[in-house]
Amino acid sequence: MYDEYPSVKIRLRVDGKHYEVYVKPYERLVDVLRYKLGIVSVKEGCGRGECGSCVVLMNGELVPSCLILAIRANGSEITTVAGLAPEGKIHAVQKALLDVHAIQCGFCIPGVALAIKWLLDKNPNPSDEEIKEVLSGHYCRCGSYLRFIKAVKTASKYIREGRIYFDIKEVIS
Amino acid sequence: MNQIPEHLRIVEEVFSKYRRFVYVGKKLLRWDAVSKVTGRAPIFTADFVSRYRDALYVYSIRAKYAHAIIKKLDVSEVSQYPGVVKVITAKDIPGINDVGYVVPDQPLIVDRKVRYIGDVLALVVARDYYIAREAAERVHVEYEKLPVITNPLDVIDLKTLDEKKHVLIHEERGSDVVARYRIRRGDVERGFREADVIVENEYRTQFQEHAYIEPEAAIAVPESDGGVTVILTTQCPFEARKAIARVLGLPQGLVRVIAPLMGGGFGGKEDVGNVIGAKAALAAYLTGQPTTIIYTREESFISHSKRHPMIARYRHGAKKDGTLVAVEAKIILDTGAYASLGPFVAWRATVHSVGPYRVPNAKVDTVAVYTNNVYAGAFRGFGNPQVHFAVERQMDLLAEELGMDPVDLRFKNILREGDETVHGQLLSKDLGVGLEEALRRAVNLSNWYEKRRKYSLHSKGLVRKGIGAAVLWHGNSIGVEAADYSSVSLIVNSDGTITFRTGLTDFGQGALWGLILIASEILGVPPSYFIIERADTSAVPDSGPTVASRTTVMGGAATVNAAYKLRQRLNEVASHILGCSPSDVEIRAPDVFCRSNPLRRISWRDVIEEAHWLGIPLQEFGYYRAPSASWDEDTGQGSPYITYTFGAVIAEVTIDVETGEVTVDRIYTVYDVGKVINKEGVEHQAECGAIQGLGYALMEELIHDAEGRVLNANLSTYYIPTVADTPEIIYDWVESGYKQGPFGAKGLGEPSLVGIAAAIANAVSHALKAEINELPITPEKVYLTLKKLSKLRNDVRM
Amino acid sequence: MVLIFRFNVYRPKDLDDALEILDREAPEVIPIAGGTDVLVLVREGVIRFKGLIDLWPLRRKLSFVRREDEFIRIGALTTINELGRSFLTSDVRYLGFHDLIHYFATPYIRNLATVGGNIATAHPLSDVAILLLTLNAEVKLMSAKGERWVPLENLYVGKRVLRKEPNELITEVRFREKPTNSSTSLLKFDRRKAHIMGYVVVATHAYMDHEVIKDVAIAFDSVGKPYPGRAKLVEEFLKGKPLTNDVLSKAVKEVLVKEMTRISDYRATSEYRLYLSGVLLKRSLLKVKERIQRGSLG
Repeated sequence: MYDEYPSVKIRLRVDGKHYEVYVKPYERLVDVLRYKLGIVSVKEGCGRGECGSCVVLMNGELVPSCLILAIRANGSEITTVAGLAPEGKIHAVQKALLDVHAIQCGFCIPGVALAIKWLLDKNPNPSDEEIKEVLSGHYCRCGSYLRFIKAVKTASKYIREGRIYFDIKEVIS
Repeated sequence: MNQIPEHLRIVEEVFSKYRRFVYVGKKLLRWDAVSKVTGRAPIFTADFVSRYRDALYVYSIRAKYAHAIIKKLDVSEVSQYPGVVKVITAKDIPGINDVGYVVPDQPLIVDRKVRYIGDVLALVVARDYYIAREAAERVHVEYEKLPVITNPLDVIDLKTLDEKKHVLIHEERGSDVVARYRIRRGDVERGFREADVIVENEYRTQFQEHAYIEPEAAIAVPESDGGVTVILTTQCPFEARKAIARVLGLPQGLVRVIAPLMGGGFGGKEDVGNVIGAKAALAAYLTGQPTTIIYTREESFISHSKRHPMIARYRHGAKKDGTLVAVEAKIILDTGAYASLGPFVAWRATVHSVGPYRVPNAKVDTVAVYTNNVYAGAFRGFGNPQVHFAVERQMDLLAEELGMDPVDLRFKNILREGDETVHGQLLSKDLGVGLEEALRRAVNLSNWYEKRRKYSLHSKGLVRKGIGAAVLWHGNSIGVEAADYSSVSLIVNSDGTITFRTGLTDFGQGALWGLILIASEILGVPPSYFIIERADTSAVPDSGPTVASRTTVMGGAATVNAAYKLRQRLNEVASHILGCSPSDVEIRAPDVFCRSNPLRRISWRDVIEEAHWLGIPLQEFGYYRAPSASWDEDTGQGSPYITYTFGAVIAEVTIDVETGEVTVDRIYTVYDVGKVINKEGVEHQAECGAIQGLGYALMEELIHDAEGRVLNANLSTYYIPTVADTPEIIYDWVESGYKQGPFGAKGLGEPSLVGIAAAIANAVSHALKAEINELPITPEKVYLTLKKLSKLRNDVRM
Repeated sequence: MVLIFRFNVYRPKDLDDALEILDREAPEVIPIAGGTDVLVLVREGVIRFKGLIDLWPLRRKLSFVRREDEFIRIGALTTINELGRSFLTSDVRYLGFHDLIHYFATPYIRNLATVGGNIATAHPLSDVAILLLTLNAEVKLMSAKGERWVPLENLYVGKRVLRKEPNELITEVRFREKPTNSSTSLLKFDRRKAHIMGYVVVATHAYMDHEVIKDVAIAFDSVGKPYPGRAKLVEEFLKGKPLTNDVLSKAVKEVLVKEMTRISDYRATSEYRLYLSGVLLKRSLLKVKERIQRGSLG
């Protein structure tokens, strides 16, 4: 019965690294990322595109990886929260989330961070309404919503000041 | 003369000694924030699955009906499906087929009958999820259907609280009543006769779902010693170990449970860990291969415990001046198909049932009953949010009858230092009684009186505004549920870092960070020196479950003990090098010096090195056993909890009268937490509780149909608040100092949700000038309320 | 029926190839556009098929929003966000699309969900269909055997059932350009403020001559059938009358109540849905009037 669903080889770039992997036609991008490639900076919370935790940037757009067939990702450029900054550094968005103490259980953060990054790329100084619109599809059961809004503003300030990356060592101390 | 135990003496000494703080009370970034924001490393249970290539997948075949006898179960076609390795049924269980947390009523895999839609008939162990699911479709089951009960009033009478005749769900127990509790204080009949006003009403609340964003997961690996290691989403690793060992028929020591950080818990991962862990472990044990199980969101909805729905009748009597004279309550909790934590929830609800007030005469009866709904168990608040909704609505009704401001009525009756609770427990200064201060601050923060007056004038037009208040109390830790103890280990490593080990877990609440701040304060070492190890039953001490808002209070007290004793020894070692007395030693790592001669400094590493040479051990085990709680079964008198967290909540709402939409504009919370240890943590709790409480008040409800099937088992039809629903949240703190808490601290995990729905309901009631007796307060309910009052002035009304 | 959760995926070279595969394999093989509906139905075990035809490779040809000979033409594979970035959302007449995007599921779903896919779900809560009904849209159905245009109104037959052959594919929708002094709006209401399906969804288009309604189209998620429909009696009542609160009140109290029947389900009762339909209808038309008067988003 395995042969009934022949595997297909796909090539994709995730957070700057090239991958070649065999996928089944019915496998979802989130399955391939998490369980075949071991990329855990993408989470799965609902499998129905409702919670926002599986969101990735695919060719520059925010999409729920739990609703993308893996074969569609062939040739695509994917960014997860881990790819927002080079090794040893974090992005202004991540720094802002830390600054405002937005992290509690952290499960929603991979999706939220990408949504904020995408928003600021399009709209460097968004209003509260615009922020809420973009974050409306990300559930945070720990209640960090107000902090996300603050984080967008903090990150916006950093970016406008030209401070895009921060050393992780600076942050940990 | 009572000999005070050492662990208690140490905590009390630390409480009285420390006046100024370096770490305690500060807002410091939690230990795991950076790894969570970079996202690279595996953090949650399911993140580790890819390390186990070729792990088999375990899928649960569930019941077709909510109540039926299994006449025949044929899994032969399932076993034969290509890609299936094994099908496990009840008869394959080597140990005892039971995962009940309090009562042994819950089989892991059913054999005789199904009691709710999530009951498991068999486990399919296959190469992947898809094959398992396809194979599962090929099961053949013959059922003999039984009547499905979804209404607890079909099991019990609300007036008499007598069990009604019905086809029993748990016939093996002879009754579908799981637990009964009562309070009898004074003489309520006389009290009501003396009352000038009496208000009586019926209140109902709904099933609430935790909806943590991380679904339940487990990975089980068979070990060479015949045991099994399970990586598991559980708030109670030692309870899970017990349950898994029981199911497998293994000694506890051969079962190792590792609890990584979780993506939310809120009580929902309290006993489901037993279930999902046992499933994975059983499959691993019987196949000899690593297995994994990750619940889908839909499965999560139907297979872990919910918040108990409540049906309650309350009767309050008061004098003209507002003094409460009598409270009578009949409370029914629907615990669904299995007891789970039901008996304890019913007890806590009973203890808190009259609210944080002086009540001279009380008669409370609580019953928890089985139905064929999804089972109910632990959920943040644990029976308290339900009764507070009822009690705080009653207080507002009384205020209205008396023509008194609702906050004034509360000031008249709230418990103060020196008062006796309805159980006869003396609220001495030692317990930290800051309710009055909390209410006062909430009133000031919110400008209560002026808004109450102003919004009352807003009673025409298409928009109404309201402001409502609630006060609350929440007993810390587990009371008389079980022996209440906790423990931590501190191990100073040779490089100066400190390994912190505890069996308490984190699902986002960050309480463990508070424990680190406590250790930091006592040892004189920055929090960055500490490394928190994962809760691992093979490495950490049993600290009791991560429940009941006990981590700070109990884990903290254990941490105080460990750090205190370790500090004594470090002082000894340092005094050896520095030459001053041990009590003169000041540690401000990396520096160590004598207070009397601060210019002579040695390093933290010097001290550690010297300790090794002197043969002074640098590990310490901290243990804390709470003072015994007490509870008389017949009268409900005693000292049920070691202390109470108090609080006041005020909510402001705006209502669109045409659609019935309720918008919460602002929530003010002031909690008496004894002492703020972890500033970041208490702020998180206030916000998290407010938003979950808002969901409970306005939009969340898990709905069953008449056949016991869940109709809204996903996140678009079960509504949890989004960013757009979040109000302004303004908070303040009262630090009343609990003498037996670490630096005086009390818990906040649950209290931060307990009063929210009550305050919102009172605000809505104020805005509409109508009674609110049911949660959730959906737009349709507002519409029906207004219609009843014929207050619709919309020109398009029907 | 025993369900299969695994499937094969055909990737067509072009539209003709897709139509040919469909012709050969349907109904065992069904098309997938954004996947936001199909993949959820698979997961729930509601639909069963052997394979999917992936329409995504056809996006270059079937994703467009253009003006052509008095028509607005929208390709079936245009995503909701692409609709949002088109000229439609800055044209007063078509501001209903701005509302559509605002209310549609979640921001990231809008990058996958397509116009054709939303119509093909044949679900009453198909926001795209509801709005397009007010614009008297037509749908282009293509198959290996030919093509035809069908008024959207005639496409719905029953709950989740379209008057469409299994080998036919929705490739385009079109509607005639609306006159100036007209506008559209779409409104939803539910028990929270974002990510809502809606107890009720209403869309309206009105063409005004000063205060008077010259023409109006009103569509709901359901007027009585389990799919989107127009409230034609209410439209008739309103034509030629001034767009005032009183007129709207009468329209609702006297006409809508008779024309519309609503179901009760676990989310809301029929009484409340009917009541809410009236409230939202009023608000939607008042919004349209405001937009016409302001000539902008309003």
